[in-house]
Order: sequence, then structure tokens, then C-alpha cells
Amino acid sequence: MTPTHFAFSSAFMLGLAGLAFHRTHFLSALLCLEGLMLSLFIALSLWTLQFNTMNSASLPMILLAFSACEAGAGLALLVATTRTHSNSRLQSLNLLQC
Amino acid sequence: MTPLIYSTLIISLGIGTTLTFASTHWYLAWMGIEINTLAIIPLMTQSHSPRATEATTKYFFAQATASATLLFAATSNAFFTGSWDILQTNNPLTYTLMTLALAMKIGLAPLHSWMPEVMQGLTLLTGLILSTWQKLAPFCLIYQIQPHSPNLFMALGLLSIVAGGWGGFNQVQLRKILAYSSIAHLGWMVLILSFSPPLTLVAFSTYLMMTFSLFYSFMMTKTTHINSLSTSWAKIPTLTALTPLILLSLGGLPPLTGFLPKWMILQELTKQDLALVAVLAALFSLFSLYFYLRLSYAMTLTMPPNNPAGTLPWRLNPSHNTLPP
Repeated sequence: MTPTHFAFSSAFMLGLAGLAFHRTHFLSALLCLEGLMLSLFIALSLWTLQFNTMNSASLPMILLAFSACEAGAGLALLVATTRTHSNSRLQSLNLLQC
Repeated sequence: MTPLIYSTLIISLGIGTTLTFASTHWYLAWMGIEINTLAIIPLMTQSHSPRATEATTKYFFAQATASATLLFAATSNAFFTGSWDILQTNNPLTYTLMTLALAMKIGLAPLHSWMPEVMQGLTLLTGLILSTWQKLAPFCLIYQIQPHSPNLFMALGLLSIVAGGWGGFNQVQLRKILAYSSIAHLGWMVLILSFSPPLTLVAFSTYLMMTFSLFYSFMMTKTTHINSLSTSWAKIPTLTALTPLILLSLGGLPPLTGFLPKWMILQELTKQDLALVAVLAALFSLFSLYFYLRLSYAMTLTMPPNNPAGTLPWRLNPSHNTLPP
């Protein structure tokens, strides 16, 4: 595993751990999601630099577009949750339990 | 929702799945899956109730995490093997991670805990789209990953059959029951994937047809709870007679169609010298059969207390002329 690969893999794993273990706030989970996407952006940009291919040079920009859409959807859901549940804490999302 | 926005979202759903089906590049497949996720989120929050918002939030988190992990696995594979081709995923670490990410996407155990709660918060139509259409794109990718050992798929499959059967045991909400039935059926599909992929497709197509019919019959009688199911005989009596057939087909009883994939899968497992796995799968699908039987019992074999006015809807003009009253 090259150092580049190791770097963005560990960044991704840290973000994933943050997303999996989020406890209180909705927004921290969204931030971890953005961190995941950022590590993938770095990975794709470094792909072009390291392998000297121009084939997939546009991939980071497309990733950025999709990541922005997803972030927008996540924030809209944050607003919707705050409107219906009066706060955005994750413990208040308990209406649908078995 | 205005017709323009509604049709845009439905077309986006179609575009997303078609894009994933048509792709050989992992990036394009990921884009199709992302489009699917983004398109269904407004459909899920349509009613703006607290339950719908909560269900959408949970769905969003599960799907976004799984998509990001999928793209990470694809990028790792590209760094290891130098290829973005879907059929060239050779690194064990990579295809394990991809399989787990796709398992979370479709709701296989042990990554299934978002599924019942999400299904509970949705309308029956959106739940139908979630159960049937949203499973197509990730399943297409799972089908194309060629692992070297069948252990992971068998473990996922068996765990899903167990979780789907056991989890639905105590449920009275129909949407949760349908979620657990979906988990169990996906377990059957993934169990046989590394031995005989055509059987996976047989199981998947029968599952699609059965789930679609069950959801549709619940939509016609507008029932979401066993209580309302038991008094739904008065609305469309023909449907009351036919829905147990769908339920028993989902449970896998011969001579109904749902028995065919289970039979073939058990036969293939026995041929591969995995009789213990076959026995476990068959025994744990008895749990699912229990709650299907309970649904058909509540619907057809019991006569719950009802006021006289509640026993009359079948005499009136039907609101939708799909079945003869």
C-alpha cells in the first residue's frame, strides 16, 4: 500500500468511525459524511497525479458535485428534523421503534 | 407535490438504476446509486410528518455511509489493481469492503437495522419503491463482484435469514413485517450467489413479484396494522381470498411460486456439500412462515368484532375497479 493510499484510507476510516459512533448531534454526523467525501476527493485527485493518466481527471469534480448535492439533502433533512422534532438531537429520533 | 417535480423524481429514479445497470466503470455505478438515493429522499418526506422525516433521516445516513464506503472500496481497488472495471475487482480487502457496503445498501444482516424503522415511517407506495426498485441497482453490482471464497456471502445470507425471521416475530405493523420479509428474502438470494448466480436471479424476480403484489393489496385496502388487516375483508372480499396465497407464496409453500427458488437453492447447496447450511436456512425460514401465516390467519380465518356499518363497504361502488367486488 503506497503512502498516498494509506493516507487517504486512514482519513476515510477516521471519518467512518466518527460517523458510526456519533452520539448527540445530527450536524456532527453530517460533518463526518463531508469528511468522508473530502478524503475521497483527495484520493481521486492524487490518482491523476500519481498515475499520470488524464482519463479520470474529471472524477474529483463530479465527486464534488454529488457530494454537494448530498450535503444539501442532509442539511434539508436537518432542517426538517428540527421542524418536526423541535431539536436536532439524535436521541429524539425515537418515534419508529418496534 | 406538483406533477412536474413528481415526474422529475420518478424519472431520476429510473435514470439512476439504468445508469448502474449500464456501467462497467465503478464510478458511473456509484453515480447511479447516488442519483437513486437523492431522488427518493423527497418522495419519502412528502407527507412532512415526524415519522416520515425520521425515516428519511435514517435512510439517508445509512445510504450515504454505504455509498461513500462503496466509492472508497472502488478507489482502493483502483489504487491496488490500476483498473476501475467492475469485473476486475480482485483484491480481497476491496471486494469484502464492497460487499459489506452493498449489503448495507440493500439491508442485509448484520447491517439491516435501519430497514424496519425506515419502512415504518413511509407510505405504502414509497415503501414499495424502497423494497423493489431501490434493491435493483446495488444487487446488480453484488451480482458482478466475483469473490474468491463464498464464505462472506454465505455468512451474510444466513444471518439475514435468521434476522429477517426472528425480527419479524413480534411485529404487528405490516410495514415492519414487510421489511423483515425483505431482509430474509435477500438473505436467500445472497446465500446462493457464489454457487449459482442464475438461482439468485430466480429468487430475486420471484421476490419482486410477490412483494409488489403484497404491497399493492395492502395499498388497495389501505391497511398498515394487523388490526386493520383483520377488518379489511369487508372492503374487497376477493382480495381477502387471494392475499393469503401471496403470503404463503412468500413463506415458500409448495405448490406456490415462492417455493421454487427455495427448493432450487436448497438443492444447489446440497450439491455443494453444504447440507448443514441448507438445513439452517430452511429451519430459520420457518420463522418467516410463522408471521406470514399469522397475517393470513388474521385476515381470512378470523372474524374480528366490527360494527354493522363497517361490514358494508363491499356493497358500495368501488373506488378503484381493479378487482370484481
